[in-house]
Amino acid sequence: MYRHLFKLIWNKRKQNFLLMSEMLVSFLVLFAVFTLLVYYYQNYKKPMGFEYKNVWLVNYSNGDKIHNGDSLKLFYETLKREIRAMPEVKDISLSSSNVPLTQSMIQNGFFYKGKETNNVNTYQVDDSYENVLQMKMLEGRWFNKTDAVTNTVPIVINSSLKEEVFGKEQVVGKIIGDDKAKKQIIGVVADTKFKGDYEASGMASFSRIDSSSIHWMGKMLIRVTADAGPAFEGRLYKKIAGYIENSNVEIEHLINKRKSINYFALVPMIVLSIVSCFLIINVALGLFGVLWYNINRRRGEIGLRRAIGATGRSVASQLVIETMILATFSLIIGAFFAVQFPLLNVFDLSTGVYMTALVLSIIFIYLLVLVCAFYPGRQAAAIYPAVALHEE
Amino acid sequence: MIRLQNIEKVYRTDTIETLALNSISLDVDKGEFLSIMGPSGCGKSTLLNIMGLLDAPSKGDVRIGDQATLNLSDKQLAHFRNKKLGFIFQSYHLINDLQVLDNVELPLLYRNTTAKERKQLATEALEKVGLSNRIKHFPTQLSGGQRQRVAIARAIVGRPEIILADEPTGNLDSAMGSEIMEILIQLNKVDKTTIVMVTHDENMANKTHRLVRLFDGAQVQ
Ligand SMILES: Nc1ncnc2c1ncn2[C@@H]1O[C@H](COP(=O)(O)OP(=O)(O)OP(=O)(O)O)[C@@H](O)[C@H]1O
Ligand SMILES: [Mg+2]
Repeated sequence: MYRHLFKLIWNKRKQNFLLMSEMLVSFLVLFAVFTLLVYYYQNYKKPMGFEYKNVWLVNYSNGDKIHNGDSLKLFYETLKREIRAMPEVKDISLSSSNVPLTQSMIQNGFFYKGKETNNVNTYQVDDSYENVLQMKMLEGRWFNKTDAVTNTVPIVINSSLKEEVFGKEQVVGKIIGDDKAKKQIIGVVADTKFKGDYEASGMASFSRIDSSSIHWMGKMLIRVTADAGPAFEGRLYKKIAGYIENSNVEIEHLINKRKSINYFALVPMIVLSIVSCFLIINVALGLFGVLWYNINRRRGEIGLRRAIGATGRSVASQLVIETMILATFSLIIGAFFAVQFPLLNVFDLSTGVYMTALVLSIIFIYLLVLVCAFYPGRQAAAIYPAVALHEE
Repeated sequence: MIRLQNIEKVYRTDTIETLALNSISLDVDKGEFLSIMGPSGCGKSTLLNIMGLLDAPSKGDVRIGDQATLNLSDKQLAHFRNKKLGFIFQSYHLINDLQVLDNVELPLLYRNTTAKERKQLATEALEKVGLSNRIKHFPTQLSGGQRQRVAIARAIVGRPEIILADEPTGNLDSAMGSEIMEILIQLNKVDKTTIVMVTHDENMANKTHRLVRLFDGAQVQ
């Protein structure tokens, strides 16, 4: 019977071409949507890796206008001491501009044994940064005062970077970098989803603010007590604005920053899902219509098959199986295109994401086709052979 | 071979009721070649469909061979049609997307047969109707007479005991018609196939063993 169906399909290849392209296009769109959804979902399931509640972000400008390197350091020490002295403040850290839950990014290459790994987020932070964000050390330690006097620059990397570059190796104590700038890894910190719930943490390396980078500072992260309110915010604002001359000071809460950066990921996802929903409905109706039309066009054939020995059920299943075979062809072609993404590593997503999306879209298309073919198939089964034969 | 007893067929639609067959009783013997004539709309096709178990009578009883057909399931009916009956229609009813050979093989698909057996039987059937040189053609590439010969090959490929032909020569010119008629006569003579044929053509009808005339759903001769 399958041979027969293949022949029938092959001989009708022109008519089937349209139906198959329709299935192919919807498969590819679904694949794209599912890839995105699976990627977001996988990221969403991972822990945040840091605590954003009760952390405030202070943006300020002109921090370096009047001071040279050493006095600037002193200037910040004094400011931090004064802020820390406020009862609502638990801890404070300066940070390079790429603070958590903002779009700001600073990326550099990471050199190890002459090999460069790209797209590594680099953060310049204080010794207190880990405490402010409640990050989790996996190996080694975070920076402390003793690091000020070491010869090699200490750095902390996150576990994604560790895995990418070193795999399962022990990394604490390893020297990295090129000859001009040698650094020593002193700790590994758990991944932190600094770009919100739905984005991957990416690879990251942290280093202490030094006498040159201190000029670029413009952000402070402050961990406050749970009851810190607007009154305190006002006092904090006054203190900072009064301390840094001619500065634009702005205080934001990371809890709000998280919401807005999540929207940033969610909105395109929702738009894409809605668009693809419409597309799928369209395809479903089209498929249904084509199958329905087919059955009416093929009433004579159905009547004849019934006359020569087909049961109603076998006629119905023939129509459904024919459509499923067409779907299978489309899916094979579609899968061929889909597997190019992980093979060519187009978007730097893991193979698992693509494969899950592939399986999901295949199942979805099969279900869609089955549902669309089922009712017309049943209609075909109910056709009276005498009536169908009579009509032609 | 076929025994119809008090067959009545009523077509009901929302507005009208048509009495297509009115109390028909008819016996067709094994090996007989019977023709049915009558004016258009008198119920010839209806009667043939009932004989062919394509349609159920509103009243009455159909026996084929020693098989009562009243309580057969859809599956049993399909199986029975496949084994015992062959159909030929005025409009051929070939599947245009299948080549001649595949069209002829169709009834065998609904039995347990291998691809090889099907090909062999279909080729033999096509030889019988003189079309073995057209097996790779599509129906649309054939003349009307050739198409009807394909349809006959399809009807006989499963070696049925009975062939039911509804105006098999209706769409053909008289030369072609005679050719088809000759094939049917040979089938009846050589293979002893029981044939019931509806026709509008007195000449054709005269070549058969017996003629039944219908008028307005009733048998008049
Ligand atoms: N499916 C149906 N529904 C309603 N009425 C029908 C149906 N099929 C046939 N009839 C009616 O039954 C009667 C007999 O029809 P049938 O097709 O048997 O005629 P026929 O003798 O074969 O005519 P023709 O020589 O034109 O083929 C007609 O009056 C027709 O209108
Ligand atoms: Mg008729």
